[in-house]
Amino acid sequence: MKAINNLCLMGMNGVLADTPLKEGVNEIIVPENTLFEAKILHIFSDISLKILLVGDRSKCDVKIVYLCNKNNNYNINIEVIHEHKNTLSNHQIKGVLTDNAKMVLNGVIRMPKDSQKCEGFLNHRGVLLSENASVKVTPELEIFADDVKCSHGSAIGALDENQLFYLLARGIDKITAQKILLKAYLSDLLPDVWDEYIDDWMAKNVSTHV
Amino acid sequence: MALLEIKNLCARVGEKEILKNFSLTINEGEIHAIMGPNGSGKSTLSNVIAGHPAYEVTSGEIYFKGLNVLEMTPDERANSGIFLAFQYPTELPGVGTALFLKTAMNAKLKFLGKPELDAVTFMKKLKVRANALGITDEMLKRPVNVGFSGGEKKKMETFQMAFLEPDFCILDEMDSGLDIDALRVVSTGVNVMREPKRSFLIITHYQRLLDYIEPDYVHIMVDGRIVESGDKNLALKLEEKGYESYK
Ligand SMILES: Nc1ncnc2c1ncn2[C@@H]1O[C@H](COP(=O)(O)OP(=O)(O)OP(=O)(O)O)[C@@H](O)[C@H]1O
Ligand SMILES: [Mg+2]
Repeated sequence: MKAINNLCLMGMNGVLADTPLKEGVNEIIVPENTLFEAKILHIFSDISLKILLVGDRSKCDVKIVYLCNKNNNYNINIEVIHEHKNTLSNHQIKGVLTDNAKMVLNGVIRMPKDSQKCEGFLNHRGVLLSENASVKVTPELEIFADDVKCSHGSAIGALDENQLFYLLARGIDKITAQKILLKAYLSDLLPDVWDEYIDDWMAKNVSTHV
Repeated sequence: MALLEIKNLCARVGEKEILKNFSLTINEGEIHAIMGPNGSGKSTLSNVIAGHPAYEVTSGEIYFKGLNVLEMTPDERANSGIFLAFQYPTELPGVGTALFLKTAMNAKLKFLGKPELDAVTFMKKLKVRANALGITDEMLKRPVNVGFSGGEKKKMETFQMAFLEPDFCILDEMDSGLDIDALRVVSTGVNVMREPKRSFLIITHYQRLLDYIEPDYVHIMVDGRIVESGDKNLALKLEEKGYESYK
């Protein structure tokens, strides 16, 4: 299975370009009044995005779901440069790791001196299904403008023990319970078309020993 | 016949001993009430019976229908007929209530070797139970317990219990947070479930609940064990005197 993704440049009049993600750095230049939207399901490769918000009111909205298993070791690199004032970036990243998988997430938001009234957000959550899996997040905010909003958040941990127990206490077996919780956790970033991939991955990777 | 037998149960959380030689036998068809001060171990007892992993049983035994409960996983316990209505029900964001209940019901049917419910029968059954307990369609559409008020969560627990029809029901402070009307509705929901083979363990701080659901036995639990047992008059006596004499 290849990483599937869907990158889409949206202008005021609809889709400007629809590009598949490539290996290496994907440089995306977002012009004036344009929204760059990406929904990325990350299973078998690194991802590098360099997004330049160069026009007035250019925006990007990126949602990434990653699933890592076995001894896989992947990187997600995101660099957002708010070159123009009045630009907005939003990155929402959620993932699930099992076995000995490792993920490194580098997220950089740059706001040079003239990028007033910009907003940049990057949020990450990682769920670990195994004690040997890990995520390393290196956030970097490089802000030289003063009238901006910017934040970087990350939370990493196992599935919530009380939520899991609630499902078990209603007779639902541990594998099904974990799948229900994982699906619920990913659901806000997950377009329905990916259901099949997620179900397939969970069928192979969710086990009873947690 | 004994439905649930707890013998000399000791349990702890981390390093803290909470249940200290707790023993109790509940026969088929009986209603037992447990009252006791905050922190005496009532919810710990509930969680240990249901199999919460945070509580470690250090000694003692629990038998349900003659089966060794401590060797069963939490889902096996539930499917065998043990139901815990939680003191603090957990919210499950993103998990729809109807799907959750369908999964739970089908898990139980599968465990019992029975066929799954078809969609129509499931919805019908769900609606009947929901109506009886004042659960609206809107509540059924929401994720499990998310954004529900304290009282609504308690109603939801009782509704799940009525829907899943367990043989042994533990109600951990189901009356806390309920308004007077809701208390009546929920109590009626419990009373209609009374059957010769079904038993209840009711944990409460208030004698008032026992006017609605009349217990066969009342136990007073202090510091991890039962210190006195009696009939419903014990609750009245307690209301008057408090726990002072047991400390
Ligand atoms: N998961 C836990 N982690 C740490 N301590 C716990 C945990 N569960 C219970 N305890 C402690 O064990 C003791 C008994 O708690 P428990 O919840 O069983 O009391 P309770 O009788 O149900 O009280 P209440 O009437 O307030 O509901 C308390 O001191 C409590 O702080
Ligand atoms: Mg309690």
